[in-house]
Amino acid sequence: MSVMILLTVALGVLSGIFLFPESLGDSMGFWISLGLGLLLFFVGIDIGSNRGILGKIRRIGFKVFLVPLMVAVGSILGTTAAGILMGMNPIESAAIGAGFGWYSLSAIELSKHSAYLGTLAFVTNISREVIALVSIPFIAKYIGKVEAIAPAGATAMDTVLPVISRSTNAHIAIISFITGVVLSSLVPILVPLIMLFS
Amino acid sequence: MNILLYIAIMIFGAFLGNRGRLPKALMKRMDTIQFLCLLLLLFIMGVSIGLDEEVIRSFGTIGLQGIIFALASIIFSIIGVRLIAKKVLVKGGEGE
Repeated sequence: MSVMILLTVALGVLSGIFLFPESLGDSMGFWISLGLGLLLFFVGIDIGSNRGILGKIRRIGFKVFLVPLMVAVGSILGTTAAGILMGMNPIESAAIGAGFGWYSLSAIELSKHSAYLGTLAFVTNISREVIALVSIPFIAKYIGKVEAIAPAGATAMDTVLPVISRSTNAHIAIISFITGVVLSSLVPILVPLIMLFS
Repeated sequence: MNILLYIAIMIFGAFLGNRGRLPKALMKRMDTIQFLCLLLLLFIMGVSIGLDEEVIRSFGTIGLQGIIFALASIIFSIIGVRLIAKKVLVKGGEGE
């Protein structure tokens, strides 16, 4: 699964560089949304056909929000620690971590401060998404199913959700979706908030 | 705005799946269908990265920093979730 994922991304990147005309760049947002919509439709069918799953989630109750909370804390602590080790500004490093894998938004937000920071946020968060796509099947198998949500961050509700759903089960897929929604709503708040301290 | 659309699409799918009226042949192949859709989406994502010269150029210079940041946030997130994983699994459920 991971090999297929990696090969497909690589094939896409290469054909983007060498094959497709640059004018196609403007319509890519539309094609991505279309692909995503199709995928989420089928993930929805999968969740819906698992009867009783919503009841189970209700029994977990508010504790379900512990997952996005821990991912948020972990992501920000992680990049702050890495930033300090690489001799970078800890506040800026924390802000990059608060992108939670949502590369377009965090990059736009941080390029207001500097092009370098914007690009770094972009590269960091796009790397996070690709690493998540490739590593999640292994994490689900060898570390744990709930832990498999962690690498995805904000993308746990869209692009990475199908991989989580395939590697785990419908129960975890719903927790993953909730996690993604919470983290996605935090990105536009946290990134500018952290930068206020710089 | 997109988030609302995605939620609506998923709820629509969940509704159809819950009614149980979809053809069995389709439900049996759900895994394969999902995976093919995923590959299609990843290909499109890859193309959009490849089309963006700015990104391709910058990947060489600050790519390493970005990858270290990405790995650090992923590893710390996994540790964080591991601490609370047991609290969100329902005993005897599929979540185990």
